[in-house]
Amino acid sequence: MKFSEFIQKVDRRYIYIVVALAVIIPLIYPPGFNTYMTTPVEDLYRHIDKIAGRDDKAILIDFSHDTSTMPELYPMEIAFLKHCFQRKIKVFTIAYYPPAAAIIEMALAEVKEDYPDIKPNIDYCNFGFKSPALYLPIVLGMGDDIAKAVETNSEGCMLENLPIMKKIKNYDNIQVIIETSGASFGLSYMTYARGKFGVDIAVGITAVMAADVYPYLQTGQLVGSLGGLKGAAEYEELVDVFAKNDLDYSKKKSRDVKWRADQYSLSKIDYKYKKARIGMDAQAFVHILIILFILIGNIGYFIEKKQSKEKYIK
Amino acid sequence: MTETIGIWVAALLTLFMFSFLYKDNPFYKFAEHLFVGVSLGYSLPYTWFNVFIPYVYNPLFLKKEYLLFIPCVIGILYWFRFSSKYSWLSRYPIAFGLGMVGMGVPLSMHASVLVQMRSMMLPLDSINITLIFIGTVSILLYFFFSKAHKGIYGRFTSIGIWFMMIGFGASFGYTVMARISLLIGRMQFIISDWLHIIK
Repeated sequence: MKFSEFIQKVDRRYIYIVVALAVIIPLIYPPGFNTYMTTPVEDLYRHIDKIAGRDDKAILIDFSHDTSTMPELYPMEIAFLKHCFQRKIKVFTIAYYPPAAAIIEMALAEVKEDYPDIKPNIDYCNFGFKSPALYLPIVLGMGDDIAKAVETNSEGCMLENLPIMKKIKNYDNIQVIIETSGASFGLSYMTYARGKFGVDIAVGITAVMAADVYPYLQTGQLVGSLGGLKGAAEYEELVDVFAKNDLDYSKKKSRDVKWRADQYSLSKIDYKYKKARIGMDAQAFVHILIILFILIGNIGYFIEKKQSKEKYIK
Repeated sequence: MTETIGIWVAALLTLFMFSFLYKDNPFYKFAEHLFVGVSLGYSLPYTWFNVFIPYVYNPLFLKKEYLLFIPCVIGILYWFRFSSKYSWLSRYPIAFGLGMVGMGVPLSMHASVLVQMRSMMLPLDSINITLIFIGTVSILLYFFFSKAHKGIYGRFTSIGIWFMMIGFGASFGYTVMARISLLIGRMQFIISDWLHIIK
């Protein structure tokens, strides 16, 4: 069998094995590639970090996904929570999908174990699962009064009685609403919450949708976005460099790869806080592999095409 | 102990799913059906206890807020879809739903059309904005079919094809990244949580 024929007829299962190895090996022995920052991620980090230490401002994270998109979205959510807990930023969480309620509990428990001082209903509040049928009344109602619109937290306690709500009334006290989603890119929040009340919106989305949000970033309708595992890796690093060291964000320093590398040691960071960065190492290997596959496949195709043409002329 | 059992079940089901890459088999089928069943089984009682009980049963029967009967009855009318004789009744809740859509039209027009158009009408003082302007106009003209795509007009609309191809390429690249991320996520679970090779 000729090379060109072999390339065209290779059993796809061999390709799966090669791809699996390209993922597994860098996960076990991560080469530690640099993470380069992008503007939408930096903008969101800076926007959230502005309210560090304030008790009259909070952020709201809408966990709008189920377990199928967790590999991309969960590291982002962990990074957001770590940022908030580290820098004493008040955070609310909400879910309109039943599985997302469990994901919130898991994420909060995972980050909270490293921050024993952070208390529920004082430093953060989980609104829990709300019916999708109540989405619009809640989104519009929060513009007027969050405690009235959401009513209860995940444990069934009335929000109006919680200490965290003391200085937080409505969207005027919400710095940004972040929707982490594998299906929508914050369009409903942009339409209703931003359109009617002017609250800032950001998204953490799967890579499939990442290209779709650029028109909204350009217009300023989104203050920032995290696209897939890459976005999560960037945010993880910003949290480890700036929030963990209690440094104010600086774009110049953020873009300085060498300075960033001096601020922390990846090997000393808990695996749960560097999952996206380790994942991006494997991602890089697979991308190179796929480019090679595309090149080899095309070479095989053109050789075969040329040979069949010559055969026809003869 | 419970966590360990959970991790083992999740790991074995992941391997069952991956077995499809070799070929279709009963292990894959079992995991696939289990996934569908568990997803529905999880959502149903969750919705019952978190939606029906606090928002319908408690206010209606414990707090005696009888006004709630009206939306409940309207909601129940949806079930008449299953009756050929009375299916017309289901149009009433649909009408309410459409009313809600109507409420969103002006805001959607603003968010998705007007603000987007405004960003197209900026002074062409940077390369990015100029590129966006050329891309938007050439793509819009490409989809204008009342004039034949010939001559200078045809050449200009072909620029639109290039812009679209670059857009599709970016989307495809992101899609590859997303799919590989899912594989990475599962592998991280197997290697870290299950086998404890990395910590």
